[in-house]
Amino acid sequence: MSAANGQPELVVDGFPPQRPRWVQIATSADHKDIGRVMVVAALGFLFMALVELLLMRLQLAIPENTFLAPVTFNRMLSLYGATAIFLFAIPLALGLLYYVAPLQIGARGTALPRLGQLGMWLYLAGATVLYTGFLYTPSEAGVNPLPPLSGIAFLPNNGVDAWCAATGLATLGFVLIAIDLVATLRTLRAPGMAWRRLPVFSWAAAICSWLLVAIGPVMLAAITMLLIDRNFDGIFFAGDAGGSPLLWEHLSWIFFSGAYALILIFALAAIAEIVSALARRPLAGRGVVIGSLAAIAVLCTLAWMQNMLTAPIGIGWMYFAMTMALALIVPFGLVFFNLIATLIGGAVQMRAPLLFAAGAIVSISIGLAAEIEHSMVAAAWQLKNTVDATAATHFALVGGGVFGGFAALHWWFPKMTGRTMGESLARFSFWTMALGMLATFVPLFLAGGFEGEVIDAYKYFAGEGVSTYNLISSIGAFVLAAGILMTLVNAILSREGGAEAGHDPWGGDSLEWFALSPPEPHNFDQLPDVRSAQPLHDIRAAIGHRTARAEARPRESQPVA
Amino acid sequence: MSPSSPGTDQIETLLWIGFVAAAIVVVAVVVGLVYALRRYRAQRGAEPRPLAGGRRVQLRVGAVLTAFAAAILVLSIVFTDRARERPPTGTAGLQVAHSEPLQIAVTGQQWLWRYDYPNEAFSYYKLVVPVDTAVELNLVSTDVIHTWNVPDLAGKADAVPGKTNHLFFRADEEGSYFGRAATLSGQAYAAMRAEVEVVSPQTYEAFIEQRKNEIQAAQDRVVGLVEGGEVP
Repeated sequence: MSAANGQPELVVDGFPPQRPRWVQIATSADHKDIGRVMVVAALGFLFMALVELLLMRLQLAIPENTFLAPVTFNRMLSLYGATAIFLFAIPLALGLLYYVAPLQIGARGTALPRLGQLGMWLYLAGATVLYTGFLYTPSEAGVNPLPPLSGIAFLPNNGVDAWCAATGLATLGFVLIAIDLVATLRTLRAPGMAWRRLPVFSWAAAICSWLLVAIGPVMLAAITMLLIDRNFDGIFFAGDAGGSPLLWEHLSWIFFSGAYALILIFALAAIAEIVSALARRPLAGRGVVIGSLAAIAVLCTLAWMQNMLTAPIGIGWMYFAMTMALALIVPFGLVFFNLIATLIGGAVQMRAPLLFAAGAIVSISIGLAAEIEHSMVAAAWQLKNTVDATAATHFALVGGGVFGGFAALHWWFPKMTGRTMGESLARFSFWTMALGMLATFVPLFLAGGFEGEVIDAYKYFAGEGVSTYNLISSIGAFVLAAGILMTLVNAILSREGGAEAGHDPWGGDSLEWFALSPPEPHNFDQLPDVRSAQPLHDIRAAIGHRTARAEARPRESQPVA
Repeated sequence: MSPSSPGTDQIETLLWIGFVAAAIVVVAVVVGLVYALRRYRAQRGAEPRPLAGGRRVQLRVGAVLTAFAAAILVLSIVFTDRARERPPTGTAGLQVAHSEPLQIAVTGQQWLWRYDYPNEAFSYYKLVVPVDTAVELNLVSTDVIHTWNVPDLAGKADAVPGKTNHLFFRADEEGSYFGRAATLSGQAYAAMRAEVEVVSPQTYEAFIEQRKNEIQAAQDRVVGLVEGGEVP
């Protein structure tokens, strides 16, 4: 028939053979498959991080506990840090950005899909190295393996080498994915999708990608130097042989500070999308929010020496770090202000993603507020390396990575699977998590701030006045873990059994809600003209307008198509 | 914590300033958020108000935030500079330390502290200093990074191999002060403690004399053993 119309005839001898599903996913360079694998893997490692956290909290539940040997505790600590940062928080953020941003800009895929695929596999390879390393000897050097402790002289087994390989592979993977995202955002935006019309979350994708391109190679360099020091008699970090242990501190803290910013930028951008859609109005101060997110990336990375205020670095550098850290009050404050200003006067629909978003805002603000005090130089001389810092970091990063990550997960879950996550379980999970979060980390603020309990220690003593705080914190950790597990279970159950979502369950304004749920492999059959920052809002307005006109006219005249 | 030196007094004040700043931030965000979510909760299909404000509101909020950050910055610098001041030795202090502070070399090693006093005396675990006397600690490490930490007397300072860190304090009252090392340094890290005993100048000098004699006696004994043909 098509030949009769002058079209070439398409002859198909049946469907091409379907390869097994796992082969298809493993070999796919589709950003949606890659993003989904990263999100699923990241949530799996969230579970592992929880197990490690609970083991450590069990050891710290009572004074002078002997549940874990000191070595085991240090291994759990090292594993927990690497898992939470490199295998959970960054890949969850990056996976969601990588899944959503191409859809939001109306692209049919990414610009360098094989690079993104390689990035995903490098991340999974890093994760495999870390956890097979766990089977023989994990690193004992802590969350940030500072030389000389992480040097060959003090930890001669291969644990630190495995840590280096694992985090190095994962970091390289993140950088490759970031390069793909940068290229995609620069070249594959739909007609009319100018930068000024880009959704906030896609802006976050651009900012986070540029940030990773800047900080990733720094970490890779540091890791390479550590490997050379350990295996080829290098002296980069040997203080007595012409090197400097402080060099590692500088390089690694540049990366960790940038990663901290990345997790928060991802979370705040996701929250901005959720808040504006569920308040039924455009984001207040859109340009200011986007500019603030970019400022956060720059200032937070420049504040890396905020982590080194007790090191011998000179008071001038300390004041520089403090100035950069305190300057962050302005962009963070503007973002929080505009999120709340969007809600005030809106028609707020209190759905699960907004609940998690609100929890994330509160948790992040507590963490950042505490971080103000850790930036004030003399105050930091007392507070640094106490469990007060543990609490501050966790409020910010669990707030961004877990609460913010879960808000984003609930938000885009319908797009990824075609089904919404169960609302009542989500609410129950949220309140459990909120309670657990406060019970786990508020006592640590008190134990660190008033009693000076030190960080990373496998035990404390009965006479130090921190026993009650630690017991409450340990109980709280189990409540927090129960809450997080509920959301993980909710996600697993809803994948098959959730309510069918349709292409636009939330009334979103950006282009990903124009695609099917889940989207076709090529994302869009066709795209609407992008004339503003809210293309779907424009379509709805146009339809509403035409319907109103059609109803106002006499029946016989047809509405013009 | 109960500050027992001029420096930690200043730090304590700054800590409370920081606490107030942090509380302001948390209260502002939580109150604003809870108000917005409770007051503007709406039924499905309700119409939102159009966005008000604009550039002027953003500028005002930005100005308020900048002023807030600048105030914290200035206060931090003022109190940090005060905390860094080198307090002079008082009248009740050690007389030889009047012109310049008592120099004590602190060496971190897994998992104890070694203190070298001016007169070739040294001690492990416990630092003994005279009361009301300016003390300068010069911290280094022979192995991994350690953090010297006695909260009541001074801030924390890292002992790093190959680079000397400095810490000043003047203890106001006699007594024992404790703290725990604050950077993960290996297996026995949690048991690594710092203890400072603040005593009268006379007791301090007697302690130094006693240590010198003990060290000399031990050295003589080793030398005697070696000269006597025995391996110590």
